[in-house]
Amino acid sequence: MISSVNVYRNRLLLPMNRQTRVLVGLTLALLIALGWSATSGALGLSPWMVISGNASELSIQIWWQLRLPRLLLGVVVGAMLAGSGAAMQGLFRNPLADPTLLGLASGAGLFVALWIVLFQGSGAGSLYGQFAAGFLGALSVCVVIFAIARRQGGGSAAVMSLLLAGLAINTLAGAGGGVLAFIASDEQLRQLSLWGMGTLTNALWRTTSIALVLISVALWLLIRSARELDLLQLGEATAHAAGLDAVRLKWRIIVATSLGVGLCVALTGVIGFLGLLVPHCLRLWLGPGHRLLLPASMLGGALLLVVADTLARTLGAPAEIPVGLLTSLLGGPYFLYLLMRRNRAC
Amino acid sequence: MLTLHQAGLTTTPAISPLSGTLRPGELLAIVGPNGAGKSTLLSMLSGYRPCEKGQLRLDGKPLHEWPITELANRRALVAQQELPGFDWQTEELVSLGSNPSKALIAELLDDLDLTHLAKRSVLSLSGGERQRVMIARGACQLLSRRTPKARDGGLLLLDEPTSALDIGQQQRLMRQLRAWAAQHMMAIVGVLHDLNLAGTYADRIWLIHKGERIAHGRPQQVLTPETIADVYGAELQPPNSSTANSPFLALAP
Repeated sequence: MISSVNVYRNRLLLPMNRQTRVLVGLTLALLIALGWSATSGALGLSPWMVISGNASELSIQIWWQLRLPRLLLGVVVGAMLAGSGAAMQGLFRNPLADPTLLGLASGAGLFVALWIVLFQGSGAGSLYGQFAAGFLGALSVCVVIFAIARRQGGGSAAVMSLLLAGLAINTLAGAGGGVLAFIASDEQLRQLSLWGMGTLTNALWRTTSIALVLISVALWLLIRSARELDLLQLGEATAHAAGLDAVRLKWRIIVATSLGVGLCVALTGVIGFLGLLVPHCLRLWLGPGHRLLLPASMLGGALLLVVADTLARTLGAPAEIPVGLLTSLLGGPYFLYLLMRRNRAC
Repeated sequence: MLTLHQAGLTTTPAISPLSGTLRPGELLAIVGPNGAGKSTLLSMLSGYRPCEKGQLRLDGKPLHEWPITELANRRALVAQQELPGFDWQTEELVSLGSNPSKALIAELLDDLDLTHLAKRSVLSLSGGERQRVMIARGACQLLSRRTPKARDGGLLLLDEPTSALDIGQQQRLMRQLRAWAAQHMMAIVGVLHDLNLAGTYADRIWLIHKGERIAHGRPQQVLTPETIADVYGAELQPPNSSTANSPFLALAP
């Protein structure tokens, strides 16, 4: 499936030191990116200035209340999108699976938009409602996709119908969003467009803290599944004989991905292609073993989103480009490239 | 080791109830025409499709009462070819499902003539090479997960292990299976299409037709020209006296 660029890559059997080396390296890169992101932007405030009290009261306030939650939100959302991409690719045994491509994100988006238009309120209740709507949207798409995958069995036909199902769901969700925008009031429309573009602008402690906790749970569930995902690559019957309870694994990953991706979408709108791009590049470098690939994808996703968000904030300052646009500009062509390479290989 | 007491499947594809014992150190071949239910029977033996009639017992304990991970210490399955989705290295794929020592991996790769492919991506291998990698993985699971109290080498289930092999590799594999059975006291069950291969190397043969075991026993007892003509609808040449100790079947032109 992936052609043989690195056939002779001299990869060792995941000795601890290599795994640690890669993860520590990625963590350092993420910290550096966070430092850079924290100091760049309209404020030009460094964490050092905040700590040393060498800045005005107001800008410190802004840094704590706006910048810091935004950084943290970028980290967890990036980690979640890329981590769920890696997990879904493992689950479907196919490198083209991704929460945006398969319609999870847009399904969650449609449910959130429905929630905003039908039950619009502006208190804290609406926030939790939005989370729940995102989760339910992602979960229902997940279940539909699994029913399709199950009916089709394995093989390339199944992959094709998965991608087509994702296309249909994306189109449907887009149309549904259009209808909702049409019937929405002006106030709702403003809320919809603020939310739906795929940005980290709305990061506040109130929302970010919830996201931190729940997404961490989802990430932990995914990381715990790494060994089982490896086994699943043998095919279901063989993996069963090697000690894998595939049903439990599937449900755990469905719930974790739906929870995490649903939350991400409820908070930031659809940020596309991270789940495709990051695991795929890392797999070329690190090999397909999930014990390394999953945590590395999470760190890599966080890194990429933090960098992209900083660029989105600063490139056209004081205006802001939605970061979802940037990642789609990066990921769309990459996806096309992957498709072309696959077709050549077949 | 594994005993069947009138075990069978009632939902389609169904298997008529059958009894028997799989013994350590023995190579059993399951043969039969296309669509006879050989793979279904194998997946019942592995517990992937739980038997719906009668009982299957492993070491005296009903198969469905075994925790799935403990069961994996005692039996391994090599299903028919499925292309792995990602580019695992041969070595990595062999060690999936267990935690083998480097020595064991090296030994198994050598057994199946794979040593020169150890670092290669499995997606770049030929069908026959990949098939041998998967067989090595199955053996690796049994050998490296063998518990100290186990009295035998466990049960290795193979679904058409020779389908992509050339004639030399077929011989090498069948000899190796016999060697593993003897050396580690494994019970090996292989679904085979080639009756001559089954007749030459298997200790016993089960002949399956339309979900039912219609003959079983030593190769000479099962692979008679009359039975073959009956079950497969194939016309054979008259038996030749030069192959007295194992039956050799040749198609009539």
